[in-house]
Amino acid sequence: MNPNQTPAIQLGIRVASPLAIVVGVYLLFAGHNFPGGGFAAGLVFGAVAILRTIAGLQRPKGTTALIACGVLMVTVVSFLPILWGDPLLDQRVVTFDLPLLGTIKTGTALVFDIGVSIIVVGLVSAIINGLSASQPTQGAGQPTQGAGQPTQGAPQ
Amino acid sequence: MLWALFLAHVAAVPAAAAAGRTSMRAGLFTAAAAPAAAAAWAAAELAGGGRTNTAELVWVGGLDVAIRLRADSLALMMTLLVAGVGALVMVYAAGYFGRNAAGATRFPATMLAFSTSMLGLVWADSVWTLFIFWEMTSVTSFLLVGHKHADASVRMAARRALVITAGGGLVLLAGLIVLAESAGSSALTAMEPVSGPAAATAGVLILIGAATKSAQVPFHVWLPGAMAAPTPVSAYLHSAAMVKAGILLIAVVGPALRGVAAWKWLGIAFGVASVVWGAVGALRHRDAKLILAWGTVSQLGLMVTLLSVGTAKAVLAALALLFSHALFKAALFLVVGEVDVRTGTRDIGDLGGLHRSMPTAFAVALLAGGSMVGLPPLLGFVAKETAIEAVLALAGAERAVVAAGVIGGSVLTVAYTVRLLHGVFGPGPPTPVGANRPLMAAPAAILGAAGVVGYAALSGVNRIVVPAAAELSEKADAYSLIQWPGLKTAFVVSVLIVGVGGVAGALWASRGVGRLPAPVGASAADGIVDKTLGFSPRLTALVQHGSLPVYLAVMGTVAVLAAAALASDFAGGHLIWWDHPLQAMLAAAVVIAALAAAFVGSRLGAALALGSVGFGVTGLFLVHGAPDLALTQLLVETVVVVGFVLGLGHLARRFPPVTGSWRSVRIMVAAAGGLAVTAALAAAGTNPTGKPPTLDLVAEAVAEGGGKNVVNVILTDLRALDTLGEVVVLATVAIGILALARVRTRPQAQTQES
Repeated sequence: MNPNQTPAIQLGIRVASPLAIVVGVYLLFAGHNFPGGGFAAGLVFGAVAILRTIAGLQRPKGTTALIACGVLMVTVVSFLPILWGDPLLDQRVVTFDLPLLGTIKTGTALVFDIGVSIIVVGLVSAIINGLSASQPTQGAGQPTQGAGQPTQGAPQ
Repeated sequence: MLWALFLAHVAAVPAAAAAGRTSMRAGLFTAAAAPAAAAAWAAAELAGGGRTNTAELVWVGGLDVAIRLRADSLALMMTLLVAGVGALVMVYAAGYFGRNAAGATRFPATMLAFSTSMLGLVWADSVWTLFIFWEMTSVTSFLLVGHKHADASVRMAARRALVITAGGGLVLLAGLIVLAESAGSSALTAMEPVSGPAAATAGVLILIGAATKSAQVPFHVWLPGAMAAPTPVSAYLHSAAMVKAGILLIAVVGPALRGVAAWKWLGIAFGVASVVWGAVGALRHRDAKLILAWGTVSQLGLMVTLLSVGTAKAVLAALALLFSHALFKAALFLVVGEVDVRTGTRDIGDLGGLHRSMPTAFAVALLAGGSMVGLPPLLGFVAKETAIEAVLALAGAERAVVAAGVIGGSVLTVAYTVRLLHGVFGPGPPTPVGANRPLMAAPAAILGAAGVVGYAALSGVNRIVVPAAAELSEKADAYSLIQWPGLKTAFVVSVLIVGVGGVAGALWASRGVGRLPAPVGASAADGIVDKTLGFSPRLTALVQHGSLPVYLAVMGTVAVLAAAALASDFAGGHLIWWDHPLQAMLAAAVVIAALAAAFVGSRLGAALALGSVGFGVTGLFLVHGAPDLALTQLLVETVVVVGFVLGLGHLARRFPPVTGSWRSVRIMVAAAGGLAVTAALAAAGTNPTGKPPTLDLVAEAVAEGGGKNVVNVILTDLRALDTLGEVVVLATVAIGILALARVRTRPQAQTQES
């Protein structure tokens, strides 16, 4: 059995993934005032994806869509200000009140940051898929796409 | 108006392609509309006295990047020829191709695209605009010459034409840059006369560029091969349009370079060599179209010679020749094309007796051939008479060389014309001919008759040609073309030329058709192309051999050289060991991990050691007070280490052994890289350039970005354009990886299926 795909490791990674996602989301939103940001958040999400691949839990899907989506978000936010006469990449800051959470201050920079993190995730998952695609196929067993099943092609 | 006409041309290109879907004929008629309008406009402007129209589109004002168009008298005359002959040839092509010829979506649109580029070239008023259209004519003519691309010899001919004319275009670009720099302006008209070595360089380069386009010896080798094109293409490109581009260029830059000896003598050398060699070539061939092509080389040489001589009379003669040549050469090409289509051959050895079965074509050929020879009452007579007068007015060596070339070439011209007409239409068993093609006959008849009409209405031609010549040489205003010069020396010379040439041609023609001459030069041009194509895979194999370690070694060496340049700025005085003792400990850990990465034999071990280097550097960032950088570094290292674990599964556990000199090279590159980066960093660290910009950035971040994390505000707001560029790079890399992965999987997928 692949030592990376023992039940203990799989369980550990399965438990840790949601926590890591929460950390990533925190980094994304905290970035404006504290260490963090879209790039860091994207890396955390990417690390989760790689770990899940190694443990044979899940391989990332929809890489192309992720990249396209990220680039679209970033470019739209960048070029939208031109439509109403502001310079390229001009930021809008929005402040509003929400029940329970209090006053929220955010801006188009957040959308830009989310786009950046999506692109980073797309890059990482492209690398994962690239590495998995190049592994020698060993006859029996297709690489599985679903969660929770061991992947044949993972490292020995 | 210039923009309207130009945009009408541009818009008509896709329209012609769309109409071509219905039939070739519809496509060609659509394509002919825009040039017809341009020709009509030029005729109206000329009739109205020839005002100068200008138009410009400035793109980058400070850098003089603009499209400048200007239609003065000369440009109007060229417009009339380029667009008028273009429209007629397109109508002719409708007859040539028949209703449902192949390539109907391609041919009319390409033809119009060429016509459009040619119009832009004629109207160009800055050297840059001229160059752009110049190259566009090269590309579109390549497509036109290679129309029957299924034939390998056609592809070869088209490639040869492209290589020579586009290569000449690059030489021209160099010449135009030198000229514009030394004249201090990129405007073509009213360019100040230049002198000195720079002017001579510019003159030589521009002449070479023009000589490639106008098929001057020794660059003429592409023109006979280009006869592989459909005849309408030859009739247009090699009478009125493409080959006239070089003549026009020599004409418009001539005033600025008139005082430059190299310009004048190289031009005369090109011209005289082409006059003679072109005519000799025309005498040696038996394909009627090739005879005309070689004759074009000769006629163009005559124009180049006269323009290089540069006296007012010579310039006027050159333009008169240009005008008449466009008409009679196009007419002759069209007749030959009609003969080809209706008899199935263009070989003057097989043809004969067509004066009875194709009387209209014969009449047109007589008129056009008479104009080419220089017989009255035809336009060609007036032009040649003026040329001989201009040559006789010279003095000294110039007169001897130019007169020998012009008169000798003219004698040979008479000879090959007589031989051509005799071979195609003369006595002999009549060749069977196919059905009448009025669409082919009518444009040829119009162009042939233009020679007579031009002679009869010479005052009208004078109103076109004399102002055009005056644009180039002010004194040309004093001259005019005259119908009948009287018994002067020039006329006597003319009579002698026609007499001697006529006898020689008749004798040569009655001797029958000899063996085909070997193509000189064309094989050399093809050889250069083949050698280049054979060399490039070898060069690519050398530079892009696919070995990752060698790529890394090359990149490392370049990085060393770049870093080493900075090392000399090292100033020892500012160097301290550390700010904080923790830095020393972390640095020691980094060094140990780096050494481990270099020496450990297991791949996984090396990956982990590399990760340790990264984590150590993360610690250094933290100690330095850069939590953001540290966080990012930490995450990158994590992802990289985990990625290594994923990727290393496909490789052997241990590194393959590296031995011998390759090992020494790797050690040297690595050691040099380390030393150079250390030295460069030390140099950077010991040269503070002032107070750090941190405080300003913090203030700006809070005020403008509305955030307290300066790094993040810089990334998403203050310098967001950089970030935008970077993430686009990331996305591009990701797409590249996906594509590479797909390349790897495809053969595997196939083997799995089988």
